[in-house]
Amino acid sequence: MSSLLDELTIGANGDDVRRASDWLCATCRRHGVPEPLVERLDLCLNEVLANVIVHGGGTARSAPVRLMLEIGRDDGCGKAGVTVSDAGVAFDPLSVPARASPKTLEEASLGGLGLVMIRRCSDWLDYRNEHGRNLLTFGARWSLQ
Amino acid sequence: MSISYEDVAQDLRRIVISGRLDMPGTDSVASQLAQLTAAPKKAVIVDLSHLKVLASIGIRALISSAKDVQKRGGKMALVVNKGSTVMMSLEATGVDELIPVCGNLREAEKAVLP
Repeated sequence: MSSLLDELTIGANGDDVRRASDWLCATCRRHGVPEPLVERLDLCLNEVLANVIVHGGGTARSAPVRLMLEIGRDDGCGKAGVTVSDAGVAFDPLSVPARASPKTLEEASLGGLGLVMIRRCSDWLDYRNEHGRNLLTFGARWSLQ
Repeated sequence: MSISYEDVAQDLRRIVISGRLDMPGTDSVASQLAQLTAAPKKAVIVDLSHLKVLASIGIRALISSAKDVQKRGGKMALVVNKGSTVMMSLEATGVDELIPVCGNLREAEKAVLP
């Protein structure tokens, strides 16, 4: 993909989650990502960062989180991909099996919703662990026709 | 992030949440939401039509409140702009199948009042 790359480094805290959200939305809009996809990517970013902060452990919270954004074209489609790199406990979200949706309010669990949202709101997901860092990439694509 | 409420009728409370229900946003209103949806009102409407973002942490707070209302024999409904990013969050998690999601207050009142 021929792509634009932009990066941001943040702390693993709530205020920086907002800063990351503002950066992502502004950069995507500036480079022509369709608005519904900007919103989906923003939601995914919020969920990924929330998981880092809540589940990543002390190392996740004490080290910077690096965000990388690529926007470009590939095979007649526009693509926007975000990679979140953190130093938390190694965790591959793709290894978590999808679960059935609850049928009633009584059955509804309060956990695991973030991963459900990331899966539903992204067009692709990729995970790797390199040099002690989790790298999770999520993305959206749109037709350029 | 703001939360306010109005007791519309004897047993009906309307709660309005504005801003972003993301991690910092929910931290600031979660306990208030829990208090406002606690007894005794049996019919509760949570108006999310002024909300810009609904993250999973916010959805958890809504599910928790809806369960509390249901446990005391009542009903909770949401008001959401259809086609919005908030609606997308509810659909992505399947919560729109668990808690009535209405396009306006009148529909929501019908959903929660006996």
